[in-house]
Amino acid sequence: MSTLDAPPSARAPHVTGVRGSRARSWGLAAGLLGAVALVAVACALSVTVGSKAVPLGDVWGALVAPDDSYASVVVASRLPRTVLGILVGAALAVAGAVIQGITRNPLGDPGLLGVNAGAAASVVFVTAVAGAGAGRSVWAAVPGALLAAGAVYAIGSGGRGPTPVRLVLAGAAVTAALVALVEAISLANPTVFDSYRVWAVGSLAGRDAGATARILPFVVGGLLVALALSRALNALALGDEAATSLGLRAGRTRLVGGFAAALLTAASVAAVGPVAFVGLAVPHVVRAFTGSDHRWLLPYCALLGPVLVLGSDVVGRVIARPGELMVGAVTAFVGAPFLIAAVRRGRAGL
Amino acid sequence: MSAAQEGPSLLRLGDRVALLTNRRAVTVCLVLAVVALATVLVTLTIGDLGVPLTELPTVLAGGGSRAQEWVVLTNRLPRLAVGLGAGAAFGVAGAIFQSVTRNPPGSPDVIGLGAGAAAGAAAAGLVWPGVVPVPAGALVGAFVAILAVWVGSGRGFAAPYRMVVTGIAVGAMALAFVQLAILRATREDAQVVAAWLNGSLGSRGWSDAATVAVALVVLLPLALALSRRLQLVEMGDDAATGLGVDAGRTRTLAVVVAVLLTGAAVAVCGPVAFVALTAPQIARRLTRSSGPGMVAAAVTGATLLVLADLLAQRLPFGVQYPVGIVTAGLGGVYLAFLLVREWRRGAV
Repeated sequence: MSTLDAPPSARAPHVTGVRGSRARSWGLAAGLLGAVALVAVACALSVTVGSKAVPLGDVWGALVAPDDSYASVVVASRLPRTVLGILVGAALAVAGAVIQGITRNPLGDPGLLGVNAGAAASVVFVTAVAGAGAGRSVWAAVPGALLAAGAVYAIGSGGRGPTPVRLVLAGAAVTAALVALVEAISLANPTVFDSYRVWAVGSLAGRDAGATARILPFVVGGLLVALALSRALNALALGDEAATSLGLRAGRTRLVGGFAAALLTAASVAAVGPVAFVGLAVPHVVRAFTGSDHRWLLPYCALLGPVLVLGSDVVGRVIARPGELMVGAVTAFVGAPFLIAAVRRGRAGL
Repeated sequence: MSAAQEGPSLLRLGDRVALLTNRRAVTVCLVLAVVALATVLVTLTIGDLGVPLTELPTVLAGGGSRAQEWVVLTNRLPRLAVGLGAGAAFGVAGAIFQSVTRNPPGSPDVIGLGAGAAAGAAAAGLVWPGVVPVPAGALVGAFVAILAVWVGSGRGFAAPYRMVVTGIAVGAMALAFVQLAILRATREDAQVVAAWLNGSLGSRGWSDAATVAVALVVLLPLALALSRRLQLVEMGDDAATGLGVDAGRTRTLAVVVAVLLTGAAVAVCGPVAFVALTAPQIARRLTRSSGPGMVAAAVTGATLLVLADLLAQRLPFGVQYPVGIVTAGLGGVYLAFLLVREWRRGAV
């Protein structure tokens, strides 16, 4: 078996004894609490730091008793952004982990594999045809995400099953063509141009108030489906034959998992635009301490994804004062090195 | 036609220089040159502002009306010159990279060189305006990008697909840097840069044409001189060494030439996507040759870029698109086809 067939989980799934694995479970559960604490810290930073800092005490005051003080106004504008960051971070990180699981490909990421571009193209297309209101719906992003995912998978498999590099290259090709399409539509259509420019790179700033509510059901639904798949993803990591002999229908798991990942990606693109590398970086970090058991991997991703997105958003606000660097640009800075690291460690079979 | 006519022959230029040519390659280059010339003529004559073909010689000789002179001499000709020059530069750079990495996707636009040059140009133009000339910034950016890809991938050109994936990461970081640079710019500058980032031949002047012309005059002969040795290196380092060619040095030299060409081209028209990928591939297919085919790649690249620009300006959507949108759209589809075909053959 060559390196690229070896699933990440084949390394050390259940080497520890029952007692050791129980202690490990407690450790991981405690770690989950730590991750929750990290999310809380990220949220606090997201609400307090910005072009104008607001002390945490004032934030609390503004939350329990909103008035028309300066702090209240700032908090009221930063709070929706923070909530949006949590949803998008969780959605993208889990989507990335699921894509990596179903393609057995350490280079899985909605951005790298063209799903972001597909969702964006479909949003832009719907906006051009049916107006900005229709374009804000998550449903506008779903068909493109699914089509792009299917196209990349088909091109990347080329009849013999996908390899990580093939999928990434197919993703690059599909992304290039779709981004060109998006640019072409947006240059010809002023309505699209106005709404597209804001989120071309992915930005949490200036999203309309309903965005969070619109994507919430999709993100929650997608996360639940993904979590429900975690055992199936573990079995899939052993290889299709082993998974089948364990009673798993590999094709169906891939289909459902792909659908969940596309839904999560579509929701996040509809809300904030295409943010890349979150889905790549977070699962890679998480795997370092959870191993590749998806029952732990996915919940950790759902918590640490928001930490990365909120953290990147805060960094973007700080480094470019008085301007703001879009969150998608910061996650590219942070996340792209993980791609290089994965290549260097031979994870991609290169 | 007999086999002897199809095979390679020597084209002697004086006593010392002889080019190994093949009849088919020469024919293909001539046909492509005619296509390019036809594209130039159509571009000059098309549209409300176009000058009729019969009046073109007069206008070129300086005898046209002021409006005609503006359209032809100030607007369309420099644009065409930049397109032809940059297209040729992209084509040769792509041919070199594809030869060195022995892989079609190992071309400069896929491995992040265009994005690196764009980041360098943006830094020179927006972050430190006036301190560094924009072309110099583009060159530095391209070199930083190739260094990052080289160091990042860890195994250099021996592992082309590693380079490709590393290049995608480097390209993403370079484009993120461009976003940062745009934030520092004034609104007007930012809009100019955003348009330029797609790769555009709009509002190019003779100085841009001169930049890319100088690059070509210096670098094209170098590329030609390296061409045969590259062909030997393609057979493998041992075979090349056996034939007396230093594979490592040839590669390094060739990559430097390709990076300089890419930087010069990006400096004048932005990171126009996929010309460097497609031109050498199309050239190879048309000439059915095995080597890097520098001249054919240059002519194909030049023809592709002016054709794409003509298409971009004349698409029926009421907008003049930057040429990079057209090349990215068509090139992306072409890359997908190329990948499927290579994989069918089991090349990966």
